[in-house]
Amino acid sequence: MTTAALRSAHDSSYLASLWTLFVLAVRQHLHGKRWMVMAALFVLPALLAVVIRATASDAPSIWLEFILIFMFIPQALLPLVALVYSSGIIQDEQEDQTLTYLLIRPIPRWSIYVVKLLAALVMTVILTAIFTTLTYIVIHVGADSAVTNLPSRCAKAVVIHSTAVVAYCCLFGLIGLMTKRALVVGIIYAAVVEGILANLPLSIRMVTVIYYTRIMAYRSMEFIADVPHKGLDIAAGAWKLDSKVDPQLSEHPSLALCVLILGVASMIFTTIAAVMCSRREFHVKTPEGS
Amino acid sequence: MKPVVEFDEVSKWYGNVIGVNKLTIRVPAGVTGLLGPNGAGKSTLLQLATGQLFPSQGTVTVLGQRVWGNTSLNRFIGLCPEQDAFYEWMTGWDFIHTCARLGGLNRIDAKDAAGRALESVGMTKNKDRAVRGYSKGMRQRTKLAQALVHDPEVLFLDEPMTGTDPVARRDLMDIIQRLGGEGKSVMVSSHVLHEVQSLTPNIILMNRGRLVAEGNIREIRELIDKHPHHIVLVCNEYRKLAARLVEWDDVEGVKVLARAQGLMVETRSPDAFYGRLPQLSLEAGTAIDEVYSDDDNLEAVFKYLVNK
Repeated sequence: MTTAALRSAHDSSYLASLWTLFVLAVRQHLHGKRWMVMAALFVLPALLAVVIRATASDAPSIWLEFILIFMFIPQALLPLVALVYSSGIIQDEQEDQTLTYLLIRPIPRWSIYVVKLLAALVMTVILTAIFTTLTYIVIHVGADSAVTNLPSRCAKAVVIHSTAVVAYCCLFGLIGLMTKRALVVGIIYAAVVEGILANLPLSIRMVTVIYYTRIMAYRSMEFIADVPHKGLDIAAGAWKLDSKVDPQLSEHPSLALCVLILGVASMIFTTIAAVMCSRREFHVKTPEGS
Repeated sequence: MKPVVEFDEVSKWYGNVIGVNKLTIRVPAGVTGLLGPNGAGKSTLLQLATGQLFPSQGTVTVLGQRVWGNTSLNRFIGLCPEQDAFYEWMTGWDFIHTCARLGGLNRIDAKDAAGRALESVGMTKNKDRAVRGYSKGMRQRTKLAQALVHDPEVLFLDEPMTGTDPVARRDLMDIIQRLGGEGKSVMVSSHVLHEVQSLTPNIILMNRGRLVAEGNIREIRELIDKHPHHIVLVCNEYRKLAARLVEWDDVEGVKVLARAQGLMVETRSPDAFYGRLPQLSLEAGTAIDEVYSDDDNLEAVFKYLVNK
């Protein structure tokens, strides 16, 4: 066999190992009850929409859309689902003592992390896409909606939420390698940084994922509610965007820059985590400490 | 012969706790037993040898290559870990097939290899059952199968017989001996001495992270002579016998075992001692009914060496 053929065989077996690892990680997610719990949480906005539409039929659908899809989902559900799926990428296997079966294979440690992160991203993006769409359907279908071009708005929302959940996953994946108390740290981060700092009309909010999520949403669609005599920009008020003084939001990043910032941040988090993984030992406890 | 596994002045610390302390060993091809009590550092040694841990000091090589960060070496290494952990929702076949695929085998080869590995550990008829329903013996066999599935040259088995019933234990020992016979290099850790004794004459004794002794059991037996032997003599007139024995220069101590109607004699010259015993036994009133010594088996070697 030639050197090129050997290298090719090695490369293909390496890719086969990575694909197997990816499939294994997805199967692990599907066999746990985690996705069911997450799905139950994710169905909440749709259920709330049903309840509100049943009890307050005159509630404008744009309000419902804004509150449930652009406030509740990115503020509460996306960080939570990302935290649950990505903070234990390595830690869960370590606690289950199954990590050994991965570490003794001819797969570099960094790629174990990256592939397992990819599996977590796939799961969270699928959950996000399904339930964002479901919530859209429940809010708008059959309603006397003034909102036009629903499929486009729904697609944009799915893309924006997916971008956000990817960033959250990459961040929480890194946190999961830095501390054993990743869930606690992640919840505190989501509450304090994404919950409080992001709502302050200060530059500090530019370190939050949700800020870029909101700017992307604001720049790609309108949130104008029909009120007597004039349209009300509900997003500008709620997100502390001074659109009256600065209608073009020139102090805020463009749509492309938001995507770029979240993408680059995600890659930086992933790179740091992958490097940490490749250099670190993972102690899998043995029964008698032998 | 070039060693298969080589530890050169290797130390491993977990903070202030020493896992392995300045360990220098050269493991030849074939079956080697790694012996030591719990906490001796056996698992640390095996984790260092399989690249799971990074040595704090020194170098670890397997098949002439450094281990840490050298994942391509894992194609030639198999590990049966000590912990009883699996992806419990998988069937035995699914687990072994997944391990084969993770090991880089293509779909067809992985299928064949999984079948072969399960067959070799006697798990074919149970391969379609979920791992969570397996008995301890079946789980140990399955762990061994995942270590074998990619046909490695060197196998590290961490307490493979732990918790198994006598039948499974016998089967596992047969499998390990067969692997050695097939030309694999196998390093088996255990804290049960008779297990290893019946597997191989080549042993490494560890205690508290240190190498206590290494080599052939016979060579290690020679080390025993540096340490006192304990010989038990059963005799009706054991007190009278004790009085005679304390007069012998090579007897370092005599302990009365009243309940057993005997004596525990401590000597550093067992051959000379055994040589004089028949005459003593013939003398009136000191007929010795029974003589036995733990020193005849590996257990005694182990006791001597780890407690020295």
